[in-house]
Amino acid sequence: MISIIDYGAGNIGSIVNMIRKIGMNSQITSDPDTILKAKKLILPGVGHFDYGMNKLIESGLIDVLNKKVLIEKCPILGICLGAQLMTQRSDEGVVKGLGWFDAEVKYFSTIDSNVPIRIPHMGWNYVEVVKDTPLSSDLYEESRYYFVHSYYMQARNESDILFKTNYGNVFASGLNRDNIYAVQFHPEKSHKFGLKLFQNFLKL
Amino acid sequence: MNLVRVIPTLLLKGEGLVKTENFRNPVYVGDPINAVRIFNEKEVDELVLLDITASSEKREPKFNWIKDIVSESFMPIGYGGGIANVEHAKKIFDLGVEKIILNSSSDNFALITDLANIYGSQSVVVCMDVRKRLLGGYTTYKLNGTINLKQNPEKFAQQVVNAGAGELIVQSIDREGTMKGFDIDLIKQVASAVNVPIVASGGAGTIEDLYEAITFGHASAVTAGSFFVFKGKHRAVLINYPKQSDLKNLFSTHK
Amino acid sequence: MNIEYQICTKTVMDTSDPDIRFDEQGICNYYYEYQEKASRILLQGDAREQAFKSIISGIKEAGKGKQYDCLIGLSGGVDSSYIAYMAGEMGLRALIVHFDNGWNSELAVSNIEKLVNKYHFDLHTLVVDWQEFKDIQLSFFKSSVPNIEVVTDHAIIATLYRIAQKYDIKHLISGSNIVTEGILPNSWGYDASDFSHIKAIHKRFGSVPIKTFPHLTLFGYFYYNFIRKVKKVNILNYIDYNKSDAIKELAEKVGWQYYGGKHFESIFTQFFQAHVLPQKFGFDKRRAHLSTLICSGQTTRDEALKELTQPLYSEQSLKEHIEYVTKKWGITQQDYERIMNSPPKLHEDYPSNKKWIELALKYKRKFRL
Repeated sequence: MISIIDYGAGNIGSIVNMIRKIGMNSQITSDPDTILKAKKLILPGVGHFDYGMNKLIESGLIDVLNKKVLIEKCPILGICLGAQLMTQRSDEGVVKGLGWFDAEVKYFSTIDSNVPIRIPHMGWNYVEVVKDTPLSSDLYEESRYYFVHSYYMQARNESDILFKTNYGNVFASGLNRDNIYAVQFHPEKSHKFGLKLFQNFLKL
Repeated sequence: MNLVRVIPTLLLKGEGLVKTENFRNPVYVGDPINAVRIFNEKEVDELVLLDITASSEKREPKFNWIKDIVSESFMPIGYGGGIANVEHAKKIFDLGVEKIILNSSSDNFALITDLANIYGSQSVVVCMDVRKRLLGGYTTYKLNGTINLKQNPEKFAQQVVNAGAGELIVQSIDREGTMKGFDIDLIKQVASAVNVPIVASGGAGTIEDLYEAITFGHASAVTAGSFFVFKGKHRAVLINYPKQSDLKNLFSTHK
Repeated sequence: MNIEYQICTKTVMDTSDPDIRFDEQGICNYYYEYQEKASRILLQGDAREQAFKSIISGIKEAGKGKQYDCLIGLSGGVDSSYIAYMAGEMGLRALIVHFDNGWNSELAVSNIEKLVNKYHFDLHTLVVDWQEFKDIQLSFFKSSVPNIEVVTDHAIIATLYRIAQKYDIKHLISGSNIVTEGILPNSWGYDASDFSHIKAIHKRFGSVPIKTFPHLTLFGYFYYNFIRKVKKVNILNYIDYNKSDAIKELAEKVGWQYYGGKHFESIFTQFFQAHVLPQKFGFDKRRAHLSTLICSGQTTRDEALKELTQPLYSEQSLKEHIEYVTKKWGITQQDYERIMNSPPKLHEDYPSNKKWIELALKYKRKFRL
């Protein structure tokens, strides 16, 4: 059963819709016991880093998530803010992230860009697969996804980078280490491209 | 770099979709649920849904209806109409809407800041309605062009962006529904005044108009209503959208 | 009383139609009726070609000095798309009319766009008020009559006549044809020109007042047919019309796309014909269509039997469509199931003008009007 974590900062309805379109069921939960029984997890998120992190702390789910993800190695997909929360910190706020990736979140103005860029990064952009994983296998040629963010993830280890995208300069649009996946874009709002990604995740 | 977005705008009035001209004379266009379903199947980039009488009727957004409409879309939707406080915004986001659009509350800078602090600037869009002044220049309005904010568009754009808005829809009331081309000067002026993405709105009639708004107006995206909904000289309702490959070719020279 | 199952030995019509009759060889009445109709209406060889040419020149002649030669109702389906294509190829100045009942599939809309673009046709769309239409459709669903499509069909006829009147067009080119639709049991259909029937059912089960729904009164029906003399031209009966060839030709010449089933250009029609009719009313309309194709030599009985074993709906699609229909109609899953499980009724169980219309048709045929 796919469990979508509800901690009060996510755009959950759309994810449920897309999973249903693939023909599978999902459940929305904020209950630690349910999360413990999950076979797969999705961590969504829309909004300010500190707001999201504080909501996650308030929800009391961090311990059980650490257990499921780091010890039991349950596959988890973080989306947008959900992905960013998996890093150590963000320029956007002061609260510490989950620290599952050796990475931090930077404001777009800091990206070394040779062309002027408007912030936020808003719209469809191409994603290059740089690491071969079950999530990233067999995606459409020239896959594009919808991005809507002012801050981007920066990983210290090249081996953690799953997807790369260019906006001003190249940045990591997806991270992966073992069972943990983090995507900056919104697959649930990216038509057939997102559908394929979800299909891959559900097949894991 | 990211792709240019081409965004159909759907206007909700009463129980259905309408299309207006210069904000007047609404023409019935049909059921929004089916319209969004068709646009979704055409894999359009994004949609804007505006409830054009929510604020003038002093009522809340029609949440259940919006939920039914939005559940047909697997692309981002921006919703505007009757959002006057954080509670409204929260309910709208929970329905699966990516961005909220403020128009009648566009001069409520405190609200913009509150929303940006919780949901991030990228989720807060301001839609500015602009009219040409008789003796030159432009003025910003709100509430279907009925309330004059007595501010020129560049200044107003800067104010809302400073307050936290992450995207601006610049709507020319004079061009809306006419299909006679965008007001390029207006778009360029606002685009030069701020560093957030600008969406050009009002007047799209041909695919070349879309090109001009991006290339000469420096908009990041374009939106249109009539252009995607009417066909031919009798203005027959027929939902249409350019092929992605045509759009790619059109904008390929644009950086 | 349990009727023993029997299927025609020539076609695939069977006892799911309560009015079917078989002869000693197990051949059903529809087979013979088709032969009779075809020999009466369908010409062959040179005679057909002459008739066709004469119809076309008649249309062009009647259109001289007017904005349009003829009017074509285009749904985006095979038959109407093919006649639009023919009109375009023959240089007829056709006004295309599309009736939007809120159930258009993307394919239908895109097919219409392709035809209109290719031949630079002028297009009129009548977008019915969804709240009114929904209420009428829902009343039909609640009334448990089989032919819910009369609601759309009636509005289309009314719209076509009204627009023909506006532009003084004398010829409506229709996609109705014998070789793919000649067989249709009475109990599976109902005359779409009867507005009083629609009103009666709506009065019983509906709640939104009918204000803008396009309709044709009995007077209007007589007026257009006998006074204005608007002619309905079933042009496909004057060519060698083959459905699979037509689909191929449309695809090649116009980029037209097929959607997999008769009238499935509308999501609702697909749902009703592929699910509600078999599930609630116990018949599969494909039988009539395939039986017609057998009679016109476009398919074999074996092929038809094979096709009938194909499921009408995949489980996933059906689930999605039920969700979509109940969402659009604004009814709950329970209401939907309750109506699906309530016993089927006949159109004759509700008031109608059927006998007047049948009289008019008889009169029209007798005097060759």
